[in-house]
Amino acid sequence: MAEETAPSASPTEEASPVAPPQDEKREGVAFVVAVAGWLVPGLGHALQKMWGRAVICFLTVGVLVWVGAGMRGNLFTSRSNDAFDSLGYIADLGSGGFYWVARSLETNGPDVSHADGDYGTRFLATAGVFNLLAALHAFEAARGRKA
Amino acid sequence: MTAARLSGLFAAMLALKLTHLQALVIFALVISVAFGFLGRRGPMDRVKYILWTLFLFLLVGVGIGWAMYPFSH
Repeated sequence: MAEETAPSASPTEEASPVAPPQDEKREGVAFVVAVAGWLVPGLGHALQKMWGRAVICFLTVGVLVWVGAGMRGNLFTSRSNDAFDSLGYIADLGSGGFYWVARSLETNGPDVSHADGDYGTRFLATAGVFNLLAALHAFEAARGRKA
Repeated sequence: MTAARLSGLFAAMLALKLTHLQALVIFALVISVAFGFLGRRGPMDRVKYILWTLFLFLLVGVGIGWAMYPFSH
């Protein structure tokens, strides 16, 4: 009589569906890093001692906001009129603390009656979207999935 | 330096009057450098990536500008 042996469990079957505590902790730290990187551009990378990337992220968002506000670009608010305004608000809000810096810089308000103001609007939106990308990069790096 | 002078300097720094090409070049340069630092690790890799991205930004920007030229008249 042939002896039947139980099939050995594959590594995926052996793995517990519940994440180990150290993984959960790492995810939590990564989340904090991402939020920090969103609030202050570059801080997410600085917390991981990626100094070059931290400085570049800060300067990039800073320059884009400065140029955008200097060209009197439109900075969207939560009181949006349509879906495009809402998207613009989300993009602008992506620059974290620099959103309020831009608001304080634009003392004369936006002027999109000229091409300058229109370009400024794009600069401000790009600053926000780039900062979201940088925060996502910092999040992935903190999880150990990107360096 | 007095506060009034600082305020004047700050206002002058903010009052930007850029041509279309200047805005395009500043945008392309800043974003190229940022992408180079985020996307690549080695110094040489970064420089190559930055130059290539900058070139493509300018090429596509100026190319689209010329493509739209007939419609502006």
